[in-house]
Amino acid sequence: MDKQQLRLILVLTVICVAAGAVLAWVNGLTEPRIEAVKELKKQRMLQESLPAAVDFRTDATLLQRARETIGPEICDLYLGFDDQGAPVGIVLTVESRGYGGPIQLMVGVAQNGRVTGISVLGHSETVGLGAKISEDDFLKQEALTGVTFEDTLAISKDHGKVQAVAGATISSRAVVRGVNRGLAAARTVLNDERR
Amino acid sequence: MHKWSIFKNGILNENPTFRLVLGMCPTLAVTSAVVNGLGMGLAATVVLIGSNLMISLLRNVIPNEVRIPCYVVVIATFVTIIDKVMAAYTPGLHEVLGIFIPLIVVNCIILARAEAFASKNSIGDSIMDGLGIGLGFTLALMLVGAVREVLGTGTLFVAKDFGFSGIELFPQEKGALFMILAPGAFVTLGLLLGGINWLSRKKEAK
Repeated sequence: MDKQQLRLILVLTVICVAAGAVLAWVNGLTEPRIEAVKELKKQRMLQESLPAAVDFRTDATLLQRARETIGPEICDLYLGFDDQGAPVGIVLTVESRGYGGPIQLMVGVAQNGRVTGISVLGHSETVGLGAKISEDDFLKQEALTGVTFEDTLAISKDHGKVQAVAGATISSRAVVRGVNRGLAAARTVLNDERR
Repeated sequence: MHKWSIFKNGILNENPTFRLVLGMCPTLAVTSAVVNGLGMGLAATVVLIGSNLMISLLRNVIPNEVRIPCYVVVIATFVTIIDKVMAAYTPGLHEVLGIFIPLIVVNCIILARAEAFASKNSIGDSIMDGLGIGLGFTLALMLVGAVREVLGTGTLFVAKDFGFSGIELFPQEKGALFMILAPGAFVTLGLLLGGINWLSRKKEAK
């Protein structure tokens, strides 16, 4: 091996090791903050989905039950409690297959079965089309907000009341399907509790 | 004067989208609205300036035979750092621009400028080139985005993430949906490229 070859190997190795070191350092610096930001965002979304609650607790047994009765699309389950510690409702995160990939939804249901909030946590729908499912024009419509867990929703094309996003039937359908799953899970859990 | 001409070169004579015809994938993918183009363009500009600076600094150290892998490592490192720092310290902005940042790694404009400019020029000139090319890219994306957004949705400058609902030029139902979809991107880009070629040829003929 001549000197020139050795130099090539050396330079590339040094650059790669330096890049790795810098990345490790940056990662160590930012990771705790990124986690904190994520946690904060989750808390804010939970709060939005179930405004009456101040404290959210996960429940593994109930989540297991909801998954068994409804399906593996139920990702997470949070029970909401007010400042007196009384239960006020339930929040479910549900995954639904959209046009561009999975759509993560959060569905909040009050103790009496009324829907308190529906929000989109994440999606990879077409920008400018399907992506509009996360906007208020779609999510805050009466057919989605003014319902209870006894209802089964459908978009107007499927003879329901929900107004789909123009040109994004598949995305809108996916949201409605996810919401239905969430509502069914909330019904199972809340009705169980009453007994 | 010299620096200014490098800056102008990136926006006009060597505009990455319309003259170099580089970075077509992000151009087609994100230009469904003006704001998306702006976000992608600005994120790419920051990375371009940073990577041009680094490559220019290392230009005498990196042997010619392994320059491409070195550039790729430097660029990928830079993009990852920006992604992490933005996620930690400006989460709001990261949420909006987040999807564009990983796309920048595969943006060949960055590698092209490292190869064609920063590896041969001084640090100051390289930064200027990054700024010029970056802004040229941003303006081109916004132009394509403006055509598609207006014809597709009837609105201009919609930025829901910043609470701005845009200027409505005509009702959304009258918009040609296909302009927002991929075919609209190809048609718009093709017509704009053709138009700009025609204009520059007319200018040359004079």
